[in-house]
Amino acid sequence: MHIPDGFISPQTYLPAYAAAAGLWALAAHRVKRRLDADTLPFLAAYTALSFVLMMVALPLPGGTTAHAAGIGLLAVCFGGWMAFLAVSLVLAMQALLFGDGGITALPINALAMGLAGSFAALATWKLLGRLHEAVALFLAGWLSIVLPAVLVATVLGLQPAIAHDPGGAPLFFPFGLNVTLPAVVLPHLLVGIGEGVLTLLGWRYLTRLRARLAA
Amino acid sequence: MNRDRLLLLGYGAGILAGTLVHDPVWLAAGLALVLAAAGREAWRLLRRALLAILAFNAVISLSYGLMAWWQDSSPWETLLRLNLRVLLLTSLSFLFIARANLFRALDFSRSLTYVLALAYSQALTFRRAHDDFRLALASRSLRRPGLMDRYRASAAAASWFLEKALHAASQSAQALRSRGFFHD
Repeated sequence: MHIPDGFISPQTYLPAYAAAAGLWALAAHRVKRRLDADTLPFLAAYTALSFVLMMVALPLPGGTTAHAAGIGLLAVCFGGWMAFLAVSLVLAMQALLFGDGGITALPINALAMGLAGSFAALATWKLLGRLHEAVALFLAGWLSIVLPAVLVATVLGLQPAIAHDPGGAPLFFPFGLNVTLPAVVLPHLLVGIGEGVLTLLGWRYLTRLRARLAA
Repeated sequence: MNRDRLLLLGYGAGILAGTLVHDPVWLAAGLALVLAAAGREAWRLLRRALLAILAFNAVISLSYGLMAWWQDSSPWETLLRLNLRVLLLTSLSFLFIARANLFRALDFSRSLTYVLALAYSQALTFRRAHDDFRLALASRSLRRPGLMDRYRASAAAASWFLEKALHAASQSAQALRSRGFFHD
């Protein structure tokens, strides 16, 4: 979901920045209550972890690969607000330090992946975790990818309706929802399976690792 | 206000202007201005920006061209405007990254600068390690690795990163505490 600059209209990214800024402030406030010598380095470490998880390729049959995001894992392990901040920091780092992904797409990706993805994963885990841990973790990971894909596809698909010239020609992203929803969402239904497996295995691995470190 | 924060504000204003202007002539003029500001680095900047947007823009432009041809309408003005805008904004971003120090631009918040610096340094280390893992798998395989081998390699890399992140966080926490970071 790395959208370069120039595909999102200011009518979209300016309100998205306003909404994201308010939510970043709220997230910082919520996390700050726990922000001390322990949590601050953890936020940095999980930001770096999320950054590198986005680089780890999940092999797909046929020789192609997909990329996980680690959003589900971050959300169930460290909470929704921490995951939102970590994912937002990753997106900001990618856009402003590594030149990967657009600065105008940042608030949309942060809200879709960081906020909606994290909290959807957390809600799934909290609702279903007591019934069946493995299924809940898998679904949390799957949903943390599929829901942001639906949201980003919707934002992209609305661009021709939001910004067009008097003749009706699109000024930014040129395809409507009939193209963006299947093009973006269908591949992510598969990527979500990889993310679900990563969330399940990552959770089990982290649980073992924490027990080992505590011993 | 320091120079880097001014550059950040200028960059934000440039991005906004680049999305408010729709005339291809003005977008081309903006691109010329960015390249002029890059000076001797102009060609390298343009090449890097072109490579960064090539795949995404080629797919979008070809698909839109085909769709317009199917609907018997002219796609040229839309495609010119779209590609010029994306090239302008990407070049501007790369120029900002090359010229500005983001850490100094954001130094109004101690915690933000600290988290960003720590996350960035760890991300660089992780990225190098990720490349090493990828090269290690390639150098130890006589033939193209199979699906299961690649699953195992990805799982091993992910578990290494998880463990490393936990250790790095614990070490940083100890270092912060020993230096009294939260008591200054």
